[in-house]
Amino acid sequence: MIKNQLTVLVLSVALLFTSCNNDDDDSNPVPLGDYENGLLISHEGNFGQGNASVSFASYDLTVVENNIYNAVNSSLLGDTAQSIGFYDDLAYIVLNVSNKIEVVDRYTFVSVATIDTGLNNPRHIAFANGKGYVTNWGDGSVATDDYVAVIDVTTNTISAQTIAVEEGPEKLVANGNTVYVAHQGGYSQNNIISVINAATDVVSTTVTVGDVPNSLQLDTDGDLWVLAGGTPSWTGSETGGKLSKIDSSDYSVTSIDFAGTEHPSFLVFETGTLYYYLSGSVYKMNEDATTLPSAAEITGLNFYGMSINDSVLYGVDAVDFTSNGILTAYDLSSNTLVNSATVNIIPGGVYFN
Amino acid sequence: MIRIVLCFLLLCFYSVAKAQTSTDSIQRLDEVVLSDVKLKRYNQGYKLTVLNDSILRKNGNSLTDVLRFNSNIYFKENGYGMVSSASFRGTNASQTAVIWNGININSQLNGQVDFNTISAANYNAISIRSGGGSVQYGSGAIGGSVHLSNELDFTTHINHRLQLGYGSYDTENASYNLSFGNSKWSGNVGVSYVRTENDYRILGTDEKNENGAFNNLDLNLNLGYVLSQKDVLKIYHQNFRSDRAFSSTLLAPSNSKYETEDYRSMLEWAHVSENFTSSLKAVHLLEQFKYFENKDLNNYSIGQAKTWLIKHNYMRNLSNNMTLSVITDYSYITAEGNSYVDPKRNAFSATALLNHQFSSRFRYNLNVRKDVISDFKSPLVFAGDLSYRIAEPYTLKFNASKNFRVPTFNDLYWHPGGNLDLEPEESFQFDLGHQLEILKSFQIKLNMFYIETSDLIQWRPNTETNYWNPVNIANAKHYGLEVELGYSKQINAHHVNLVTAYSYTETEDVEKNQPLYYVPLHKGNTAVSYNFKSFTAYYQHLFTGEVDIIGGSLDGYDVGNLGCSYVLNTAGKLNYILDLKVNNIYNTYYENVALRPMPNRNFNIKLTLKF
Repeated sequence: MIKNQLTVLVLSVALLFTSCNNDDDDSNPVPLGDYENGLLISHEGNFGQGNASVSFASYDLTVVENNIYNAVNSSLLGDTAQSIGFYDDLAYIVLNVSNKIEVVDRYTFVSVATIDTGLNNPRHIAFANGKGYVTNWGDGSVATDDYVAVIDVTTNTISAQTIAVEEGPEKLVANGNTVYVAHQGGYSQNNIISVINAATDVVSTTVTVGDVPNSLQLDTDGDLWVLAGGTPSWTGSETGGKLSKIDSSDYSVTSIDFAGTEHPSFLVFETGTLYYYLSGSVYKMNEDATTLPSAAEITGLNFYGMSINDSVLYGVDAVDFTSNGILTAYDLSSNTLVNSATVNIIPGGVYFN
Repeated sequence: MIRIVLCFLLLCFYSVAKAQTSTDSIQRLDEVVLSDVKLKRYNQGYKLTVLNDSILRKNGNSLTDVLRFNSNIYFKENGYGMVSSASFRGTNASQTAVIWNGININSQLNGQVDFNTISAANYNAISIRSGGGSVQYGSGAIGGSVHLSNELDFTTHINHRLQLGYGSYDTENASYNLSFGNSKWSGNVGVSYVRTENDYRILGTDEKNENGAFNNLDLNLNLGYVLSQKDVLKIYHQNFRSDRAFSSTLLAPSNSKYETEDYRSMLEWAHVSENFTSSLKAVHLLEQFKYFENKDLNNYSIGQAKTWLIKHNYMRNLSNNMTLSVITDYSYITAEGNSYVDPKRNAFSATALLNHQFSSRFRYNLNVRKDVISDFKSPLVFAGDLSYRIAEPYTLKFNASKNFRVPTFNDLYWHPGGNLDLEPEESFQFDLGHQLEILKSFQIKLNMFYIETSDLIQWRPNTETNYWNPVNIANAKHYGLEVELGYSKQINAHHVNLVTAYSYTETEDVEKNQPLYYVPLHKGNTAVSYNFKSFTAYYQHLFTGEVDIIGGSLDGYDVGNLGCSYVLNTAGKLNYILDLKVNNIYNTYYENVALRPMPNRNFNIKLTLKF
């Protein structure tokens, strides 16, 4: 199985190398690696099936190379690649079901280290004060064992000390020495942001936001935007989404509510404008707006993740979760399709390298 | 004295004619003593493979192992001893029905049977019926059905069998079987236990199979009482308890475990009259699982389903060569657990089976069934099969059927996601078989099959609700060829026996225009045994071809087992049998499910006492 896959991979990688080199002819600086200047797509793969992967794509999606970790390192990446975080020249790939983090050179994808102790259901990673912060659910069925693990990035080992937090820490973002952790709630629902002081590694305060906060963005002033999806209807206590702005100086919150059955996600901040995804459409609003936009920018989508770079929206479609996923690019100045490409099973995260 | 001799199902072919031409009620009582009369009487056009006692004892307690090495069925096993599901003629895990003494025991929760929660130790015979069987055996009998039979012997006897085994990975087996009977009473008791660390080395690495320990206990009690020359009362009871850690994959550690319990009880009253026989069964089934995400904590999710079933089978001889059975049953099923809000189901079914022996060479069956189920509409299903003996050694068989698989409680009521708008999966299929038998020492069976399934239920992500829903979405085609060959030869005191089977299975997911996952195109198995007086040696070989998996493929593999046994005392009443077995003698690395390696070469020693 693995051998066959690898043979094909090595062959296809060899082919792609040739085309990449041609593209790189006119760039003057010495290339840092084959995967510089493009997108990295993390794929969860199927839960328990060990087919997590990372793909590389050029910004115009004309060059796509799947399974780059496997190709470079001749080994399987792991099970359920939840997210990737970046620190200096390193990429930290968080593998949820494998309970590990693969650390690679972000441009060559050569493996640097594997962190496989001290993690239990790891989700996302962010960096502050020379340390990595990893959200962990602990056992999914236990509400009181959730924590943020701290990584010493000089040794890529987990510090003995962990930071206990409330149920379901998910995405996190760092601003200077402050780390904001969104508590989506794990298998349940939660509605808070934990604020961690990266100098002392303690939770300095928590801020209440909408139910099930699913994305965090920092604006140019360093204020935090939180998009909460709301509690899903199957729980029997459905609530709508909420977009909140947390002032970084006093943690005061201002919010705009979505309708009670609207569950937005994938908040992106791009030069004074906020974008989000709701029911197959992408909406945009000015950061100073006080009401939500009524019309969508792009409709008819099926995104499992999205990101924006240089006014181009990149979204990934996981299709039926057993077929290859689709990566699509839209020009946000005209809201037109630029290109699309086939990627691997269950793409989730879009990152810019 | 009423003398009732039970023949193994293997011989059913010969006895049908005999039973039909006789109106002697005592002889017909033979038949009602069988737990699964239909299997004997209405299946001449189907391929039936019977695994008798000597085969069942060669693969330990595991039904997965027994069937893997002795049938065309492919098993997806999540590491040795873990959850194991069948793919019969390329169909999915819920399209193989398992029939316990005539009763369908597929899980009401997920529609499947975990073949590692059935112990082969406590059954007299296991039969594999290939092809569609929904009319007779209900939901899920699409690829085929596996029949577990406990037989009652009304000859005067008391037999004990005690087995103690020890093997690699700290594996301990113990089983005890008691069978007794006289002209009035008959009974058997079975206890079977296995416990293992199951920490086999993963070939090519320094790793071991982590978190794979398990223990299983199977209890069986069956009783029969002859009330009169026309009436027999029977009780069947089985209880299986399993406590298994869920083993890690190559890429994902595990600290979870799974506890299951199954209770199956049946009371049957069989009555024989001049022109008809009647059987009334009352059945209670209980299945329960507890899943512990972290085995060190007392935190678990639970699911449970209970079935109460009343089933009546009325069989009448319409003429000397024509028999009609009318079967009606009513069941009431409930489920409870963390993910259900107390769903209930009422189900009624009526079935008619007609058997006609047109001539001594030609017989056929026509079957029809209708289910009325409270939570969805169920199709009318029907089947026809025929057997035509063209010449003395050569018989042609054919069957065609429409079958169904009902949505499970998970499909309908799982919270969140359950979809009350589901309809049953359906299949149309046929099977053409040739059987050649030369001097009873050489048998060959050749079957060609075609199965078309529609409205297959699959769980798909729902972007509106953000959770998964089951939908009737997929269609599939399966077709292939099976060859089964048996040869036995005796020269003086030397006996040689060979059974070999090969299957070629093509499948297609019609929607995606690609083969189905986890279906080997080629699968073959061979068992050879040699016996000389007290000594027996045997070899089993399994070849499984490459299978497609999501986004890739799994390599094929060859696995062989070698064993020998010696009867230490053949003269007296007490027999000791010493049995040594080497599993996976070639030390093959193989996986049935991606990233879940199976055991390396391992050893087992077993002592059997018969008295």
